[in-house]
Amino acid sequence: MTSERDNRYGEDEELGRELRERLPRYPASAMLRAAVVQALEPESPRRPWWSLWLAPAVSSLATAMVALLWIAPSLLTTPAADPLQLVSRAVVSEHARNILWGESRPDVVPAALPRAMEESGVALNWVFTGDDDIQLVNAKPTYVEGRRGIELAYKAADGHAVTYVILPTGNVVLPERGRVQVDRWRPLLRKENGFSLIVWRQQGLLCLLVSDLVSENDLSRFKEYFVKVRSSTEPYPVY
Amino acid sequence: MADDEFRQQALQHLDALHNLAVYLTRNGSEAEDLVQETYVRAMRFSHRFQPGTHLRAWLFQILRNTFLTFYRLREREAPLSEDGVPEGGAPMFHDAPERDSERAGVHMDLERALARLPEEFMTPLLLAEVEGLALEDVARIMDCPVGTVKSRIFRAKERLRVYLKDYESDTKA
Repeated sequence: MTSERDNRYGEDEELGRELRERLPRYPASAMLRAAVVQALEPESPRRPWWSLWLAPAVSSLATAMVALLWIAPSLLTTPAADPLQLVSRAVVSEHARNILWGESRPDVVPAALPRAMEESGVALNWVFTGDDDIQLVNAKPTYVEGRRGIELAYKAADGHAVTYVILPTGNVVLPERGRVQVDRWRPLLRKENGFSLIVWRQQGLLCLLVSDLVSENDLSRFKEYFVKVRSSTEPYPVY
Repeated sequence: MADDEFRQQALQHLDALHNLAVYLTRNGSEAEDLVQETYVRAMRFSHRFQPGTHLRAWLFQILRNTFLTFYRLREREAPLSEDGVPEGGAPMFHDAPERDSERAGVHMDLERALARLPEEFMTPLLLAEVEGLALEDVARIMDCPVGTVKSRIFRAKERLRVYLKDYESDTKA
């Protein structure tokens, strides 16, 4: 057997053939393909040829209507944010609601988890339920920007609330800018409406951890919480 | 080249790019992030692509440069699986088991041996031998002369043979 193997790999051609024929290939998943296709979609449809003269005409008309627009600010539309920003904002809003709602209605976590998993389309092989610093206090299904997911609410020993939301990735692309090295991972660290967010992908799912821990000292604690949930929670999609 | 046409052509190479990304990052999630980032960059700089040149090679070049810029530091760390458990010499994924145990053993050995190669050796070997790119294209991707590519492929194979013999000895022992 050994000599057979030696011979097999003895020649360059043989080794090259082994690599071509036996090295496993990892094709892109359907989820990744869909995400790439969506990410490459043009933001707006191509402009027709007559847009060259139409644009100045519309611009003139718009100028004439400035006074009207000024008194009707609701007519002005803001440009669409990118999917990551939309999801981040929605999760921050969810967290803000949690701060109030979670305080008044703590749930029985062991009972809440199976129901949350069943209704969210996200199952958890393992889940971080807490330690001396931070405790899981609630679990529920959630709906964020058209995505069904699961939401885990944690309460830190010092009173800070931390919300962990797991959603299908969809068309959200995590940019390289803003990534930070935390332990052995490189998640994205963002600030949104005065809250801190740590965003990463796990098992094809989009994971967001949000808290009001924003100062430099608080951020290092927030990163510790991230390491705890990242290393001890294993979600996977079941839809 | 029109954007739509460019997009369509670029997407044809998604599987090949993902395959290389998996071998570079040794991590499924990071490989997906790397591929997405590659396509976003490719679209952003599509005006720099010269029609008539090799799109596949150009995309591989963007993927490798992105990897070197953002992921290289992780090479110094032990490869970890999704759940943080060190993978050691195990294959990266287990979703394609082969019935024949000897064949399965060979592909596991090949994968383990390949993972031990430095990126400078592994990438040209994969691009030339597995993806079938011309040495000139590989040289452009690696940003080095063709002679260097040949030498790296030769040395990569040399090392692979040594590693494979090691595994064979371990199995016998």
